[in-house]
Amino acid sequence: MNASNLAIEINNLSYAYSKGDAVHDLTIQVPRGKCYGLFGRNGAGKTTTMKCLLNLLRPRGGSVRVFGLDPNKAEVEVKSKLAYVPDAVAFYPWMSVRETLDYLASFRSHWNRDTEGDLLKRFRLDASQKTGGLSKGQKTQVALIAAICPEPELLLLDEPTSGLDPIVRREFIETVIGAYQEGDPGNRTIFVSTHLITEFEGLIDEFTIMDAGRAVLTLGADQARERYQKIRARFAQAAPANEFKGAMHTRRNGRELELIVNGEGPRILAELRSLSPESLTSEALTLEEVFVATLK
Amino acid sequence: MTDDGVMMLQINFKSGKPVYLQVVDQIKSAAASGALRVGEPLPSIRPLAEELRVNRNTIAKAYGELESQGVIETLPGKGCFLKANHSPLKKDARHKLLIEEIDQAVVQAHHLQVPRGEFIELVRERLDTLDDKKRAHDNQKSD
Repeated sequence: MNASNLAIEINNLSYAYSKGDAVHDLTIQVPRGKCYGLFGRNGAGKTTTMKCLLNLLRPRGGSVRVFGLDPNKAEVEVKSKLAYVPDAVAFYPWMSVRETLDYLASFRSHWNRDTEGDLLKRFRLDASQKTGGLSKGQKTQVALIAAICPEPELLLLDEPTSGLDPIVRREFIETVIGAYQEGDPGNRTIFVSTHLITEFEGLIDEFTIMDAGRAVLTLGADQARERYQKIRARFAQAAPANEFKGAMHTRRNGRELELIVNGEGPRILAELRSLSPESLTSEALTLEEVFVATLK
Repeated sequence: MTDDGVMMLQINFKSGKPVYLQVVDQIKSAAASGALRVGEPLPSIRPLAEELRVNRNTIAKAYGELESQGVIETLPGKGCFLKANHSPLKKDARHKLLIEEIDQAVVQAHHLQVPRGEFIELVRERLDTLDDKKRAHDNQKSD
């Protein structure tokens, strides 16, 4: 892929805090205009990866590029093109929401006041309230407003919805789709790390599953749901003890058999049919189920 | 259509079908059943994407596909509308598209051991159901 079409290019990235690599030989390419998910359990290396993109950490090995630029050499330019919403948002507690947004806007060459007004209203935030008195959800909402108003080309979201209630989560996602993506259709890029995969399911174009600092699976979301299937068969007698070649996981329970398969669905379904089951069904795995099946 | 003008679509991530194709197929069946009529506007991309919580680009891709298939048309500044005679495809091409779907159902019927007569009876029943739905929509409109 042409490098100029890439919003993020991570090549063989490694980083270590003390002993053992937090990120090891990670390679990810995020095309412009896509929503890319970085999935992993706590401690998988997602935040470390984000911090390397933001020049908060310097890679020990490999390289990162944001719109072709090295965040270490062109920090100002890189940061002008992106906005970041971290997991734990911290503001000066003595500033009001209004003052906080003005303060953050002062670092930006561009700030959409209309969007700011719309979102304050949508989130029912009181601009005169001190940020010290805001709930975690409200702080995240202020951080999201601050991230969207500069209309950046790239939005980095690091576990943005963990610890939030379902309503706030829902509004968060809707805002990313509506207020952010709609601003420049087809060109706005999102890079989101999360272990709450279900709520981002519809947003994700492509994803990488990380485990212990390494990429274990990179795939398109539609592709993943097409390839990974859960097959259930019920037999008149005890389920056959056959080994099903290509099945990732097999579970037997009396007359029932459940298989998780990756790309071998049609062949295994045919094999099962030849054993004349009473019933045979298959369904796609959701991205969260793909995540679990991959790391189990 | 619901009160806020967003059509009732359901995305099922367990179907294994690409999300944009689910939108395409559901809008086509809304058109076939009369839930969506010629000249009626489709929901705009943004509210529909927000409602379904799917990527905006997915809805845009679905609408692009519907437009290239001649099902809908985009009027600049007004939005997308269901087209009259929304099948510009030649009869052969239409049949070919349908045959693929029928073949899948036929294969499935075979595996479920549904005999030929029963299968054909089911198809008749489904056609009748769709006609009924269409009639119900027509009546609603005239009320």
